[in-house]
Amino acid sequence: MESDRARDVADGRGAQRGGQMFPAHIDEYLRPATIAEALAANARYEEGEAMFIAGGQSLMQAIKSRMARPRCLIDLQAIESLKGFDFSDGVRIGAMTRYVEIAAEERLRGACAALRDAAGHVGDRQVRNRGTIGGSCCWNYVASCTPAVVLGLGGTLHLVATDGTRRALPAEEFLIGPLETARRGDEILDAVSFAASAGRGGSAYRKWGLVKDALPVVGVCVRVQLDAGGRCSSARIALSGLAAGAQLAPAGAALLVGSGGEAAAIARAMDAVAASVETQSDKWASSDYRQQLIRTLGAEVAATAFARAAA
Amino acid sequence: MQTVRITVNGTLFEEAVPPRMLLVDFLRDRLALTGTHVGCTHEGVCGACTIHLDGEAVKSCMLLAVQADGHAVTTVEGLSQHGELSVLQRSFREHHGLQCGYCTPGILMNMSDFLARHPNPSDEEIRHGLIGNLCRCTGYVHIVKAVREAAKTLATGAV
Repeated sequence: MESDRARDVADGRGAQRGGQMFPAHIDEYLRPATIAEALAANARYEEGEAMFIAGGQSLMQAIKSRMARPRCLIDLQAIESLKGFDFSDGVRIGAMTRYVEIAAEERLRGACAALRDAAGHVGDRQVRNRGTIGGSCCWNYVASCTPAVVLGLGGTLHLVATDGTRRALPAEEFLIGPLETARRGDEILDAVSFAASAGRGGSAYRKWGLVKDALPVVGVCVRVQLDAGGRCSSARIALSGLAAGAQLAPAGAALLVGSGGEAAAIARAMDAVAASVETQSDKWASSDYRQQLIRTLGAEVAATAFARAAA
Repeated sequence: MQTVRITVNGTLFEEAVPPRMLLVDFLRDRLALTGTHVGCTHEGVCGACTIHLDGEAVKSCMLLAVQADGHAVTTVEGLSQHGELSVLQRSFREHHGLQCGYCTPGILMNMSDFLARHPNPSDEEIRHGLIGNLCRCTGYVHIVKAVREAAKTLATGAV
């Protein structure tokens, strides 16, 4: 096994700089044109030695800090089937579809509008020009917005394995915990989909951070479905920014069902949401402050979701 | 080593690079295009290394050079045409949009892409567009003004 130092010299710049380059040595970079090629390349390595790279806005940070040291990087940028939207049956979004495209996609309205709320405020312009919905779901960073929104909207994650086996997992099964998902080492995320629903759906997402568009101290996603009379027939609420990662708050969501989005009903639901989750204290906010954020942001978000469903 | 073909400011470069070489290091160390700056390097939060990849503003410290293989890159050195500063560059000079200048190349690259997509931006939109670029000197007031005035100049059809 070559030393890091020897590899730095072999890669041409360690000697002059007198130190290590930021990323550790990478043996091979591949850019397959199809999912099958990507999976075949991945299968040539031991599990964990090859990594798929989507937009790289999280993974490159991990690689630069050497938290991740892949021997092989399999870049998904050339796989056209992973990109874009399909509105023929519900909404299907290719895993390599970028935030900038999601934020601009006007057909994501009503029940899927929260995706635009989130995508338009991830990181900054430069990040949104690279970062993807699939990359964010697979990385499942503790404070990311995207996993919480996919969870709140009841999304399904579509996986393909090296042997061609396909799995479709609901978000609550796919997202296990911070930096952990149900994706196996021999699988690639193909797309995220949202089923078409009867009646009128509305959703919204908002986060609060210390500076605008920062990672959320708390973020709330609400999705409601209204019946013909304008009453809520089903609801989902998901949170971001908490130590346990993206999570549902079913106790609060249940209190929205049957209501017409009245302020008192929403307030009761958000009190229940806040009471049902563990909110950590850290350098950004106390637990009490997070509780208050859930109630305040949650009320605004729920009202927006109801208004969008009724529109 | 892996051979990459990257068009930078209109010129095609073919170079053998280690896969782990960051695009920003490729631009600065291989091509000696040192206008692209390195500010934070690890976190990817300062925006000083912003370039255009196929016309879109991205951070070149968050990309490997091999990922840019086959693509077109524009750096701050590519903004001026025939030795003339761009409207946005002139506006930064006229409205004191820089002090130490370290963040300026990244801001120029981000805002030139921004103005191409938002030709008539509000101050709020400009500020939202600037989130990915840290400036420790100016407090952003003159930067926002420089971008706003550049938008007005561009709207008159001046180049």
